[in-house]
Amino acid sequence: MICSQCGERPASVLVKQKRNGQLIERHLCHVCAAENHSLNLAFEQDPLAIHQLLSNWFPTQSPSVNPFKKEVSVCPSCGFTFNDSLKLGKFGCATCYDAFESNLEEIFKRLHNGNTEHTGKIPASYGSTLKLKKEIEELRKQLKVSIEAEEFEEAVKLRDQVRELNKELERGATHGD
Amino acid sequence: MAIDRFLVPKASSWMANNGENADIAMSTRIRLARNLREFKFPYAFTEDEALKVDKAVSSVLVDKGKDLSLEFTHIDIHEISQLQRELLVEKHLISPHLAAGMHSGSVLLSKNEELSIMINEEDHLRIQSLQSGFHLQEAYQTADQLDSMLEQSLQYAFHEKFGYLTSCPTNTGTGMRASVMLHLPALTMSQQITRIIPAISRLGMVVRGIYGEGSEALGNVYQISNQLTLGKSEYEILQDLQNMTEQIIEQERRAREAILTNSPLKLEDRIYRSLGTLTYSRLLTTEEAAKCLSDVRLGIDLKLIENIDMSILNELMIFMQPAFLQLYSEKPLSANERDVTRAKLFRERLKQEYKINGDKEGEDSV
Repeated sequence: MICSQCGERPASVLVKQKRNGQLIERHLCHVCAAENHSLNLAFEQDPLAIHQLLSNWFPTQSPSVNPFKKEVSVCPSCGFTFNDSLKLGKFGCATCYDAFESNLEEIFKRLHNGNTEHTGKIPASYGSTLKLKKEIEELRKQLKVSIEAEEFEEAVKLRDQVRELNKELERGATHGD
Repeated sequence: MAIDRFLVPKASSWMANNGENADIAMSTRIRLARNLREFKFPYAFTEDEALKVDKAVSSVLVDKGKDLSLEFTHIDIHEISQLQRELLVEKHLISPHLAAGMHSGSVLLSKNEELSIMINEEDHLRIQSLQSGFHLQEAYQTADQLDSMLEQSLQYAFHEKFGYLTSCPTNTGTGMRASVMLHLPALTMSQQITRIIPAISRLGMVVRGIYGEGSEALGNVYQISNQLTLGKSEYEILQDLQNMTEQIIEQERRAREAILTNSPLKLEDRIYRSLGTLTYSRLLTTEEAAKCLSDVRLGIDLKLIENIDMSILNELMIFMQPAFLQLYSEKPLSANERDVTRAKLFRERLKQEYKINGDKEGEDSV
């Protein structure tokens, strides 16, 4: 395959980017791919060695079985690739956490003794929504149990409660934004 | 200029010496890392965004701080001199990272210097709460209160699963780093510290020497802090750190007793030699001053020295650093001149102290 940008060199990198919910795939050669990483510069002098640690855990070459095609996830908001983040040991923005989410579990496990989920403080503005979601989750579990036990009256009640809370959640979400 | 009051060589309240275990636990610090949702983080944002973040956060702090009866002084990092930045670093009010001034950034300081909020350091906000002695809960409450006040006006970057989002994955989750500064001369002398440090690191906490490079802790001052920010609540992290610190303090007390029992004269000799060096020397390097300060601290703890107040030593630890020495002598200094000035600083400060508290040893020749 030929690089879709320069149309000259053979493509060696697959760039996947989510833009407005659409997945865009481009096959680029290594030269064009390097040009597309908007943020390789300026971060050479990092005081922390954490990026080295991370790079050691996630050798940039190894994830692909076929070395010819390297999958690169790019943050649609700040332009950091996952490799940029690894090299620097830092994220560029909040959206990076969504863009690289599939890789983060492993990173956090190693950095935080196997932990991957926050259990501490929640900002008040997120608090009500999160609480609702947790309640809905709990009710759904109860609903499942009551259906299995064939307690249909109870199940109907629970179903209605879930619907009610879901409505509240939607109202809250639109209100919050 | 508003910054001046923070730069005079006067002790900040967190350099005072009070509370239980304050002889060993010198000070406590809580740091919360926060970012705003709608702006890129400092490693990726533009100068324009940096300015907007600075403005947004500063105005909320200055306006709403009053609700917590906090009055903040806003200091733009690009509007102060290199020396002024260094002074703030030496006082632990800003980090070297912010002092480097890579983009628009500021620090907001509360009047008593117990709260410092850095804007556009590695994260948009770094809330820092300092307390003298061993006061993890109090320091956290102060930081938490300010954080809760800020989130009413600012939209933080927060993720349902990952918690508070930060530039560095080592801070993701609570964004909290809690630390206690510990003076551990006996554990260092007996070399027990070399066994304690690796043991603690396996429990999600870390101990390292502050001031100074490598394994050798300058002045036997160490910092213990939490390493994990994900998977544990703030409360649990503080509790773990509290327990671990109490254990280390207990170990240090036992080690002191052992030394005092086994070689009291040797210890006493060492302490008084150090006091002599600080009181009379004409050339004093950082290393020697730190070592002697540690010995004298220990002498005060063991009630061998009674005419020196501990808080003076906490102050001198800060003010013996290069930028403060330059301020003290009112001119730039070479390394050699610094040693001369440092010796003079100690002589004058201790002489003052003997006058106030009386001097059993006689200070005619100082």
